[in-house]
Amino acid sequence: MELSSHRPIELILARNLLSSLSTPAFLASGPGEIIFYNEAAGGILGQRFEETGKLSPQEWTNTFGPFDEDGEPIPLEQQPLTIALRANRPGHAVYRIRSLSRSERKIEASALPIVGIDGFQGAMVFFWPVDEVTE
Amino acid sequence: MKVEVWGARGSIPAPGPETTRYGGNTSCIEITLSDGSVVVLDAGTGIRNLGIALRPTEQPLHILLTHLHLDHIQGLMFFAPLFRPEAEVVIWGPASPEASLRDRIARYISAPLTPVEMRELPCQVSFREAETTEWQIGPARIHAASVAHRGPTLGYRVEDDGSSVCYIPDHEPGLGASLAELEEEWISGFDLARKATLLIHDSQYTDDEYPEHLGWGHSPLSDALVLGQRTGAERLLLFHHDPLHSDDFLDALSGEATARWQDLGGRSDQVELATERRELELRAGTVASDPRRETAQPPL
Repeated sequence: MELSSHRPIELILARNLLSSLSTPAFLASGPGEIIFYNEAAGGILGQRFEETGKLSPQEWTNTFGPFDEDGEPIPLEQQPLTIALRANRPGHAVYRIRSLSRSERKIEASALPIVGIDGFQGAMVFFWPVDEVTE
Repeated sequence: MKVEVWGARGSIPAPGPETTRYGGNTSCIEITLSDGSVVVLDAGTGIRNLGIALRPTEQPLHILLTHLHLDHIQGLMFFAPLFRPEAEVVIWGPASPEASLRDRIARYISAPLTPVEMRELPCQVSFREAETTEWQIGPARIHAASVAHRGPTLGYRVEDDGSSVCYIPDHEPGLGASLAELEEEWISGFDLARKATLLIHDSQYTDDEYPEHLGWGHSPLSDALVLGQRTGAERLLLFHHDPLHSDDFLDALSGEATARWQDLGGRSDQVELATERRELELRAGTVASDPRRETAQPPL
């Protein structure tokens, strides 16, 4: 019997945690696929995860960004999630994202790698809208 | 395969007149494989009686530990084969970044908790950290996967001769989520249990008790039933009974479990609460006989 479709327990527990939080957050697999984001994140992005489903890194970037203050896309290697996934260390940044309603939000994001018994499994990204606070 | 329950209690042994029928010994399951060799699941206090009953054999004896909480290893120090110089025992268990499996078990088998040190055990004992993958023991294919419980914890699936046993005695897959609504890939232990001939699963709490024990690592009855139903288990053996649950209480819970299992679309003969010395024979993907009614034995 193939036991290949099962998510690693660390990702299952991370999803359970994120789904219980009011802090906007999303979860990425080792290859960078966005495999879950919680309701709070859905409120900022403009659509619930149940509606979008899983997103490839390209789909995520094309849909939501991130962008700098001038509206230019932030290079992949500078994004907190990429740092967590590729360098296996925390990443942090302030940038803008675009919701599905085309409105832009300034957010502050922190990404943390998830490392389990079997090694690196993915990353969690928490983010806060900061425009509402500063404006 | 033949499966025998030597301990079905959770958390701590619960001997006494209130628990004679379901038994008070903690987790231990014996699986006799198609070639006659034995695989033991967990080493709670039930393993003591198993050790007395086992005939000496030249084959290595494999003990698969799900995790190292005391109710799953306490019987090791009283397991007769460990004290036979000719016996070969292989102990499998979860890896931990903290210390080796041997060193973690040695914290129990050492002073001041026991009078014997690990190095003094006369048998040939070895320790293997079970990878969360699969391997072969005799004719059986063994699968291990990490499952939702406190600390490094494995569930096991043993496949032999067309039948399968899935053993997840300590498991809280519904923590922070609704098992009825989650996609399969997000349910801890799902693949291990998928279409198992026999699923032996944690059901420590009633649904009313569960809110007071959220996050303790164990399942309420409803989650055990939903997992069994969603994974398509042929037979569900509810396990790891709370030490506060008396025989009378478990009788009532058994009736409730059967009724609710039927509400989920199952047959009444597919679900039961584990009792000590219960034997189940698995053949070609089904539970072939029901020795419970043939070999009623007085509890120890």
